[in-house]
Amino acid sequence: MIAENTQTQMRKGILEYCVLSIIARGEIYASDIIAELRSAKLLVVEGTLYPLLTRLKNNGLLSYNWVESTSGPPRKYYTLTEEGKGILSQLDQTWQELAYAVGISQKGANS
Amino acid sequence: MEKTIIINIGNTIIHIEESAYELLKAYLNEVKHYFANHADDLEIVTDIENRIAELLTEQLEEQKKQVVDAGNVNSVIGLMGRVQDFDNAEATTEEEPMVHASFQAQPTDKKLYRDMDERVVAGVCAGIGHYLDFDVKWIRLAAVLTVFLGGTGVLVYALLWIIMPKATSRIEKMEMKGEPANLQGFQKNLDEELQAVRERLSEANKHAQPVFARLGNFIGEFFEWLGRFISGTGKVIFKIIAIVIVVFGVLFLLSLIVGVAAFQGFWDASIYEYFPFSIVNEGNRGVILFSAFIVCFIPVLALVLFSIRVAFSKQAINKTLSFALLIIWLAGAATVGYQAAKISSEFKQHAELTQTTELKTLPTYTIDIDKSKYFSKEDSIAYHIDANQRNQIVVDDFEDGPFVSPNNIRININKSENGVTRIVQKFESQGKTFQSALQNAQNISYNYNSKDALLIFNPRFQLRKGTIWRNQEVWINLELPVGTKLIIKHDAYRYINNYGTWDCDEKENDSDNYSTWIMTEDGLRCIAQLKEEALHKKKLKKELLDLESLRKTKPVDSLYQDSISNRVKEVKEELGINVEDNTGN
Repeated sequence: MIAENTQTQMRKGILEYCVLSIIARGEIYASDIIAELRSAKLLVVEGTLYPLLTRLKNNGLLSYNWVESTSGPPRKYYTLTEEGKGILSQLDQTWQELAYAVGISQKGANS
Repeated sequence: MEKTIIINIGNTIIHIEESAYELLKAYLNEVKHYFANHADDLEIVTDIENRIAELLTEQLEEQKKQVVDAGNVNSVIGLMGRVQDFDNAEATTEEEPMVHASFQAQPTDKKLYRDMDERVVAGVCAGIGHYLDFDVKWIRLAAVLTVFLGGTGVLVYALLWIIMPKATSRIEKMEMKGEPANLQGFQKNLDEELQAVRERLSEANKHAQPVFARLGNFIGEFFEWLGRFISGTGKVIFKIIAIVIVVFGVLFLLSLIVGVAAFQGFWDASIYEYFPFSIVNEGNRGVILFSAFIVCFIPVLALVLFSIRVAFSKQAINKTLSFALLIIWLAGAATVGYQAAKISSEFKQHAELTQTTELKTLPTYTIDIDKSKYFSKEDSIAYHIDANQRNQIVVDDFEDGPFVSPNNIRININKSENGVTRIVQKFESQGKTFQSALQNAQNISYNYNSKDALLIFNPRFQLRKGTIWRNQEVWINLELPVGTKLIIKHDAYRYINNYGTWDCDEKENDSDNYSTWIMTEDGLRCIAQLKEEALHKKKLKKELLDLESLRKTKPVDSLYQDSISNRVKEVKEELGINVEDNTGN
């Protein structure tokens, strides 16, 4: 239970960073984001993504365009805003630090 | 086989089996409840719906199917994730500052709206009832009572109608009833819920409507209400009226048919001897009767048919037939008009015929009326009277029946200028030409009896057989020399044309059934009246004498003196007129 909880906490912390990173590679549709996250085994259900995207958009990190779809209704394609890019680079740095911290923690500062 | 439902999800039309629909609906409700407290619930839910629509469409294409089944829905739910999964994955919701303010309105904060669902007129009372948490019926009762208290209630009601906005969206209805107007309050149906949320967004500015728009709404609603009232209550009244018209109209039509049949066949032709029918020429009777029947019948029939339509909302007659009826009616009306014109043209010329009979000059004549009815041979047979029984007399007493033709004689009594006593009979008639008018006048058959001083007049003239009514008239002119006395019997009074015979009767004041007259230079005078006048004159003369002798005593009182001289003047004046009047005596 404790393990599970920690896992959840870790995933949650990292999810936002991953989503931003995926979007940073170019304009992308929500379900494609899901597909990538799923292949990364980070997220399994799509329903979770929408609140996240909405929140990021409302915070000004994301913007979207409506793009006509061959099947079904028009789709929202997300891109990073300038602000989003700035925050992503900050997060990148934080991630480097964290990775370093984790590496040090696991192998010892000397190795 | 399973029933399918067509749903609109994410602006995509999808056919879905009923069981799958139930499943999807339950899932979406879960999702909606989950995000209800979220600031951006609408956007998230829309995103999810769009994605579901897309997934379902893709699956249908892949599987070459037309209808979504439960399997499809389950796989979509699997992809989207259950609500419980959201909790594990979405970390940020906890950290998210919840924006509750607009959605979780304070549950007790009510707003005043007009309740259009429970309205009687415009929902004002129902709205107040919700606002005050009071049973609506008491507020309605109070409202109705204020109408009786001088009618100010109507004005107040109209004002409230204008001021209070009506609750149209679900949110407004919830605010009106004081229910918490957040998304969790919506428990019913997915479509309804979304609709309400959208309405809320689109009508956000509604409360800031300018007064003019409100007034416009009020007028529009008022007329809508009026329309509903008329089409509801009014319809019933109209229907009752229509049914009454139908009943009476049908009765009228039936009696018309019976009447015409009676005229045409069942009665003998003797009816045409009576007045309104005796105008019509024999050859045209059938035509006129028939067209008159059409002219009366068709409009009533049309009224009945129209009333049937109103009363039973059913077309009783088709267009062609009603058009044909109109044509028939027009033809009938034209025929009647033509015949009427033709008949009236036969009244164009006037002719009169006089026949003079000199009488022996006697001091006194008596005018009487022969009340015994003149019987033709046909009449005797019709009334079963044996013509041989001469001592029986039938008295004609039906003087003013409804169908009596205007065939009464009229008697004028005039002064004879040349001292000869004579009777001048004048027969008058109308006709198409002078000749035919004269002919019609000649066809009047009239007789009177004169036995020395006794003149017995028949009260009616007859038309010879086959003669039609063309306003024939008979005038009797009795010319009497001055000084001749005339006794007029009571029965004859009504036929005397140029004197008010009844006045004399009153003056005479006896039970005798006659009055006595005398011919003067100024015309016929009632003897009783003359006597009375003479008496009056005598009285006045006596009074004058008395007054003169009184004046001779020369009273001191000037007022008394004045009154005497005034009276003298009055009496003299009256006597003077009387003297002038009676110069002929």
